[in-house]
Formats: sequence, structure tokens, C-alpha cells
Amino acid sequence: MMSNPTGRLTQGQFSFLPDLSDAEIGLQIDHGLRQGHAWSVEYTDDPHPRNTYWEMFGMPMFDLRDAAGVMLELQACRQAFPNHYIRLLAFDATRGVESIAMCFIVNRPAREPGFMLERQELQGRSLRYTTRGYAVQRPEGRRYGD
Amino acid sequence: MATEPPPGRPMDAPAFSMPGVRPTAPAPAAQASAPADDGARSVAQVLAQTQVEQVLAELDHDLVGLGPVKARIRDIAALLVIDRLRANLGLASQAPSLHMSFTGHPGTGKTTVALRMAQILHRLGQVRQGHLVAVTRDDLVGQYIGHTAPKTREVLKRAMGGVLFIDEAYYLYRPENERDYGQEAIEILLQVMENQRADLVVILAGYHERMATFFQSNPGLSSRIAHHLDFPDYQVDELQAISQSMLTQQNYRFSEAAAAAFRQYLERRLQQPHFANARSVRNALDRARLRQASRLFAERGRELDRDALCTLEAQDILASRVFRAGQPSAAPL
Amino acid sequence: MSETGRTQITDAKKRYSAGVLQYRQMGYWMPDYQPRDTDILCLFRITPQDGVDPEEAAAAVAGESSTATWTVVWTDRLTACDSYRAKAYRVEPVPHQPGQYFAWVAYDLILFEEGSIANMTASLIGNVFSFKPLKAARLEDIRIPVAYVKTFKGPPTGLVVERERLDKFGRPLLGATTKPKLGLSGRNYGRVIYEGLKGGLDFMKDDENINSQPFMHWRDRFLYVMDGVNKAQAVTGEIKGSYLNITAGTMEAMYERAEFARDLGSVVVMVDLVVGWTAIQSMAEWCRRNDMLMHMHRAGHGTYTRQKNHGVSFRVIAKWLRLAGCDHLHAGTAVGKLEGDPLTVQGYYHICRDSHTRTDLSRGLFFDMDWADTRKVMPVASGGIHAGQMHQLLHLFGDDVILQFGGGTIGHPQGIQAGAVANRVALESMVKARNEGRDIVNEGPAILRQAARHCGPLQAALETWGEISFNYQSTDSSDFAPTPSAAV
Repeated sequence: MMSNPTGRLTQGQFSFLPDLSDAEIGLQIDHGLRQGHAWSVEYTDDPHPRNTYWEMFGMPMFDLRDAAGVMLELQACRQAFPNHYIRLLAFDATRGVESIAMCFIVNRPAREPGFMLERQELQGRSLRYTTRGYAVQRPEGRRYGD
Repeated sequence: MATEPPPGRPMDAPAFSMPGVRPTAPAPAAQASAPADDGARSVAQVLAQTQVEQVLAELDHDLVGLGPVKARIRDIAALLVIDRLRANLGLASQAPSLHMSFTGHPGTGKTTVALRMAQILHRLGQVRQGHLVAVTRDDLVGQYIGHTAPKTREVLKRAMGGVLFIDEAYYLYRPENERDYGQEAIEILLQVMENQRADLVVILAGYHERMATFFQSNPGLSSRIAHHLDFPDYQVDELQAISQSMLTQQNYRFSEAAAAAFRQYLERRLQQPHFANARSVRNALDRARLRQASRLFAERGRELDRDALCTLEAQDILASRVFRAGQPSAAPL
Repeated sequence: MSETGRTQITDAKKRYSAGVLQYRQMGYWMPDYQPRDTDILCLFRITPQDGVDPEEAAAAVAGESSTATWTVVWTDRLTACDSYRAKAYRVEPVPHQPGQYFAWVAYDLILFEEGSIANMTASLIGNVFSFKPLKAARLEDIRIPVAYVKTFKGPPTGLVVERERLDKFGRPLLGATTKPKLGLSGRNYGRVIYEGLKGGLDFMKDDENINSQPFMHWRDRFLYVMDGVNKAQAVTGEIKGSYLNITAGTMEAMYERAEFARDLGSVVVMVDLVVGWTAIQSMAEWCRRNDMLMHMHRAGHGTYTRQKNHGVSFRVIAKWLRLAGCDHLHAGTAVGKLEGDPLTVQGYYHICRDSHTRTDLSRGLFFDMDWADTRKVMPVASGGIHAGQMHQLLHLFGDDVILQFGGGTIGHPQGIQAGAVANRVALESMVKARNEGRDIVNEGPAILRQAARHCGPLQAALETWGEISFNYQSTDSSDFAPTPSAAV
């Protein structure tokens, strides 16, 4: 359990709210589709803040008209990786943006041990800091499965 | 440092624990939302709200013939309207199955009607987006192991919220070839047709006899089809009317003699094999236009007014091979 | 001997004989002039002295901001002076403001040095504002052509890359300024940083006058702040930052502070506007070389941007700052304690975030301007706002903004963390509701109350501040807004 007020990893748009129901997730997906974004499902067991690239569960889904298609992939990912972090991302291809428009977590491991902070003393009072996740001390695939 | 969450606290409600601060009230349970009553109590009100009559009227007006098909579509629309009224009064019933099969020869309007059906279903709130995705076997089935499932899923995802139209659906099933992956696509389709009726409507289409055989060999598929619509071949009068509307759309017209000649053409052509109804009419008209163009091209000096440019003459029709007796060749008629 | 005609004198001998001519006679008023795509266009709001003709005043502005002087000089003839002259090409009275006029002036591209805001400002506002024939003058808006825009490097990071570096998308960012502004020791300062970031804010902020004072040396601030930032990052799993103010007396000192911030691992540094245009451009280039965000505090702008009749409008400052290079820019809150009417403030946000700025008189945007793919600036709304206004802020400004709640975080009755939680929960629930299609303008308060049922800190925040708002008459609203408020 992490010691911020939520006790959980706070990445993504809605981490301070109660977990979104599937219906609520569908509404968010619909919002992204209306803006013309392409949704993608990603998962990881290494939620370090500098870990940009989570594993892709299938390709980003272009040309979809309805949230049900994305939910299909999400359910499949949840079945395959019930104990991983899973997030949905929406890609915006507009000129001048060409980046991610929405991103939120839709699945978490049952227990989130969080991170420790390592300090390395240097000259004077300077320190170098490293954030190290507790879970990743174990090999992939066995990090959250108690 | 970290404390374990108290037993029994649901994982999905952050508790915002700041030790030393007065704890927050527990989150209220999420409520399932009851379906909304939109207030319509009469058929007229539902029709006014959904604007579906316009699509039905367009269907009647734009498509020639197809009497039994149009009647069946009206029945389906009526069922959905009554269902809406029942839902408004809280008389919930199971979501109706809307999957269909369209059987008939080529060129009898199956794809066109499928598109209109998607619009009708959208207006009556049965599909969320109302678009049509039209595919054949090759779009669903892969060439090697593991290729089919993602391919089929891709198509399904694109079609969700609308209507999936599978033409010549029987090609999915090739029992004679044990390495055929069509069966896998059928399995996936069956699942979606059963479990995600709110997300997708499937229409299977093809020749009547072959579809019948297909359904016999795949009773699971057959049992999920709620509506079988048969598209009869067009009669000569109907084909004539179709040709008129095609010509008008393209700013052409028949002279009186040409109209009579075309009727004769149709009567003869219908006796011959491989007639593709409306499609064949379109092709015949295209060839007539070609002949008209060649005819006018020869009169180089003549000033061509609107009438001359728009009118197809009898000779443009009569040049067809159909009028030369005993010529069963593969060349276009 | 002076001529008293009203038209441009085209006869060279007459034009360049010694004496005093009217500016319009010297060729600075050209009503038929068609501005070219490569011209810099300026819109001045001028209040001529009594008895001074508005066209002559406009011509004088054009003259004094380009090549003229108060008397004819023969040395003009050593130059191709016709092309160097700025041209006032249009004058119109300001609606409802007798005695005030809008004057459009075009400047040839050759008058400016590429990639130098210092030069652009020296040219346009360096001379003319003290000019006696004008009672008052304001540079209202400016169109900088693509030809000139492309010579500037622009923001070192830009809005898109900032989000990618922070890994935060789809919602406004949250910040708070450490309070009290002055007096905390380094260690206590770091505590505020840690609490705010741990509670859920994305950024904390030094105030503009925190540089290096007897009560807290800058090195100590940086050391303690970065400890707080890194601790917060570890307990939340999110990337956190605090704007370390590197403003100093000399460039050398600024570089020294910036390097220390970089070595401690900060993602962002902060610079006050008062360091000047040259320093800003230098720091922007340093930030690009060192992968650092640059937060720009617009300290001091109110001295010359706030009064409608005299000074430089903030929209011009914003355009100059975007080209000079900054990643964050305070651009107003519209509903907080500091000056800014909502439409005008939205105009500033457009300037920060547009690829093409469009003319919109009600928002004070007088020109179409193509930014030629210059990176975008993240606007910052800071000053007297609180969680109870979240729906208004989201509606006015959208997602690409940083909302700073200084007092609104640190003044929370249950503590700083609680204040941060309240702001974050208010924000996330408002974004979620807006995406679901709800009408946040009208249902906003209800959405906040609903969210507060899951969140004690938000409940307390609404109870403490729910009724506070700052509703004074704006001094600088548009002349073209549907319901103009009384001005000047």
C-alpha cells in the first residue's frame, strides 16, 4: 500500500476517483471516439513513473465507431492479465498535437506495494535520487500474483 | 509508513487516509440506472421522436418492387416501436434478436436494403451509431493458423454500434477442406451474435438455396437469425421502372421507341442465364449510352442540343446481341 | 519654413528641404497601402492631444517608431527611405470612447533583426510612447508574419512534449504557490512542497520575489525542495515538479542556479519577466539544451498592461513571450482575485495555444496570425481561485492549462495534503463529468457536491470557500464585447 492519501498509484486522469464501472469507461471511450481519437489498451507490471512504454495489448484501434469494440479488447486484456496495471490511451493525430489526448487506469493489482526512494550522497549537501519499485525486485510475471 | 487497508473496505473506493485527519464517510453504493421513460405513449409520438417514418418512406419510394421485403421491414419497425412503448411503461422484455438473413439473386437490392435497415434500427435506438460494414469471407478468414481470430475481431470492432453485412456468407463454411479456418470465424460470430446483441446486428446474405444448405449445416447460426427476408427477382415492369429511375438520375431519357425496345430487350434477356437484376439493367444502360455516343460522334458537324444529348434512341438498344437469335456467348448482351 | 498641407509630398526637392513637415506629408500616412504578408502589423490605441488630427497622430506614431525625426534630415536621401518608413494605413475611432482612435501601422521586415525580441520591442515601443502630441498610447495587438516568426526558436519544450515528459494527459495540471510568500526557511519550505505534491498536485511554485534572501539562500531552497519533490514522486508514482525560481542579478548567477536545479533533477525552472527579453531568450535556449521546462512569471506586467488607454496590452507581451520562448505563462484566471475579464483572458489563452490565431474582436484579437507551427505555451491560471470554481475554470479554459491554487491548498482547514486532495478530486470529477456529456456550467456545483460525498477534504473546502468570488468591474475588457463594461 502506498502512503499517499489514496493508497494507490495516482497516474492517469481519474486515479483520485472511485474505480470507473464498465459503463463509465464506455462513456469516456465514446468521448474520445467523438473527438476522432484512436484507443489503445496497454498493460504493465512496472508502473515506475519514468516507464513510458507499457506493453501494448493489440494495436491501436483506428476507424472504430463505438465503445463496444474497445471494451472487447479491454475484457480480453483483463482476462489475460488480471493482476497487472492496465490503462486505456487515446491517440490524437491532429497536426500540432500528434500525441496522447486521454489516458486512465482501468485495472490494478490487488495490492500495490509502491516505491522506495534511494538517496545517494554527493559533495556538499547534494543528493541524487532514484525511485525504485518494490514489486520489480521480482521477475516479470511474478510481481503481483499473491 | 504504509498501513494495510481495513478488512472489508472495497478496493475501488479511495479512502483518502491522512493519519490524524477525521476520516471520510464511506462511499455510497453505485446504483444501477433504470432505463429512462422518454414519455411517448402512442405510436405517433414514438414515430415523431425517432423520425423513422422518413426512412421508411424513402425505402418505399426509392426502391422499386420488393413488396414482401418492405412489408416485413414495416413489421419489424412496428415491433420495435411497440417495444419502446412497453419499455416506457416499465414492461421490460428481453432485447429482441435482430439478426437477419437476406436471400435472393444478385442485384435484387440486398445491400441497399441493409443500409436502410441500419438507419431504421439507429433511429429506433436499436443500434447506437447506425453505420454499415459490408464484408465477405475473405475479410473475416485468415490464411494460416492464428490469422482468423484477430481478423474477425478487427471487423467486429469496426462494425460495433452498427450493422455487419456478410455477403455470400456460406463461403465461410468449407467442410471439405479440413485446413479451412472459416469455422473459427463462425464460432466467433456465434458468440457475438448471442452475447452482444445490444452492440451489433448481423445480416447474412446470399443465394437462397445455398443459404438454406449453409443453415442446415450450422444450426447454431440458423437459430440466432430472427428474420429471414427473401428478395424475389424483379419482374419486367419493375425492371423497366428501375431503368427509368436510373436514367433520370443520370439525365438521360428513352425515346418512345427506345422504351418499347428496352422492354423487348428485358423480356428476351430474362430468358437467358446469369441475369443480375438491377445490376444487369445498369450494365445494359451503360452499353446503350456507349452506342448513343458512337452514333452522335459520327455526325461531327451537327449541333447537339439537350434533347439529342439526353435521348437514347431505339437503335441504341436494338444493337444488342440479345436480339440476334441463337447467340449464347459469353460476351455482354 | 514649414508646409501646412495635408497630403504626402512626393516631390523630392520639396520633401527633403530643411524645415518641419507634418508626418503625413513625410509619407507616414498611406491610406491606400495594402499590407504585405511579410509586414509586421501593429495596432495602436492612441489618444491624441487636443487639436491633433488623428491621422497625423497615427502618422506620427508610424514615423517615430521607424525612421522619422521632428525635422527633415538630408541624410534620409542616402537611403531607400520610402521602403523603410512605417506606414499608418488605417485609423478608426474606438467605439464609445471619444478622443481615442485605433491606428494600424505596417512595418517592413527589413527593420527587424531575426530572432531578437529585444530588437522588436525597442523598435516598436522604444520611442513613441513618450511622444508629446499623444496624451496616451497603447500597443493593442500585433501581427508578426510567418517570415519573422520562423526566425525565433519559440518555447523550449512546448505543451505537447511537456505532457509527454510528465506522462499526464487529458486533464488540466494542478499547482500551488508556496505561502507565505516570504520568510520560510529552506527546510520548512520543503515541507510545504512535499505536502502539496503528496496530496495530489502536479507542481508547486516559488513566488516571483523568492530569489535568494537572508531568510533562505537559493541553494538551500533548491536542496530541500528537490527532496520534497522526489519523496512525493516515490509515494505517488507520478512525476512531480516544483518551479525553482532562478531569477538573479546577473546572467552568470542565473546560469549557476539553473545548472544546480538541473543537477538535482528538477524538471522545471522559473524565470520572472523582469529579467528582460534578452535574458529570457538566453534562458529559453539553455532550457532546450538541458531538457528543462521554463515557467514564466509575468511579474511587473500590470504596471503597463492593465490600463486600457496607455501601455502595452498583455496579448502583445504573450506573443513576444511565446516567440522568445517559455513553456508556462501566467495568463489570467478571469474568476480569481487578479485583473482580467473572461473574454479578454480567453484571448490570451488563444495566443498561447493556437496554431492559427483568428481575429475575434470580442476577445481582443485584432489580427489573424499564423504561428508557423511554433510550439505552444501552457497557460497558467493563478490567483485567488479555489476548488468551488472548478467547473467555471474547466469551461472557460479547457484541458491545456495549469490551475494554481495557492491559498486554496495551503489554507485548507484540514491541512495542505487535504487541500491538494480536494483540488485534485474536484478536477478529476469535473473532467469525468464533462467527458460524459454533462453540462458542467449549470451542473458544476452539483457535480462537486456529489464528488464531495466520497471525499471529506473536498467537502471541507466547499464549506470553507464555496461562497467566495471576486466580482469587480474589469478595467480592460473588449470594446467589442456584447455587454461592454465601463472602462478607463
